[in-house]
Amino acid sequence: MAAGNSVKLVIPSEIRLIDLVHAASEKVAELAGFDADDALNMGLAVREAVINAVLHGNKQKPGLNVSVALTWNDKELRARVTDEGNGFDPDQAPDPTAPPNLMNDSGRGLLLMDAFVDTLKIKSRPRGGTEVTMVKRLPASEGDDGKK
Amino acid sequence: MKATVRKLGRVAVVDITGKITIGEGDVLLRQKVQELLDAGESRILLNLEKVKYMDSAGIGELVACYKRAKEKDGTVKLLNPSGKVYDLLQLTKLEEVFDTFRDEGEALGSF
Repeated sequence: MAAGNSVKLVIPSEIRLIDLVHAASEKVAELAGFDADDALNMGLAVREAVINAVLHGNKQKPGLNVSVALTWNDKELRARVTDEGNGFDPDQAPDPTAPPNLMNDSGRGLLLMDAFVDTLKIKSRPRGGTEVTMVKRLPASEGDDGKK
Repeated sequence: MKATVRKLGRVAVVDITGKITIGEGDVLLRQKVQELLDAGESRILLNLEKVKYMDSAGIGELVACYKRAKEKDGTVKLLNPSGKVYDLLQLTKLEEVFDTFRDEGEALGSF
């Protein structure tokens, strides 16, 4: 694998800082070689992960931080968003597109994340925080191993 | 985000510019639509042509506005969602909920 680059942000659990993380993520995606649309998509995916971390993970508690680690090389961009909350079971998250949930005011974050990246993994432990890892592959690298 | 209102006949058109996102855009959208509903406006058209994108909170606020209007026997419709906004409406299956138009005249006539 070619040498990589990395950026790490650690923010308190404040909604007003989400724009900053989104902007940084989108810029990193551009630096990694994604076009404007894909860079925005990556920014949006990270944005949703950070919203979840701030609101649902850390419940906006002072003293609890959200970490965002962005690493990239010539094949892919990886974003890891970690909170210090109580964890959750992603398998229990309701499908926001199912008819009973369609008109809910919230609950679409995971759907958006999943749509905007190639792989999404969630590790969450009761009282152990949640770690969301998202990988987006550069288009030129998608044919290298036959996988998208 | 900025939102300005034009009254065209019986319809209040809300022209929105910027992003409808958590903490700012969603709050402003909520306030603007609530002001209209409180003023007795029941036909609201949200012009999304200049909305660059929304996040899940912004999408949730669109849904909340729709429901609030419905509670007052009103309706909220959408005009010209931009590429990314339309993608989000399709992804969340909300394009099946909202009446969405590409032409303002047609949208106004639909109320």
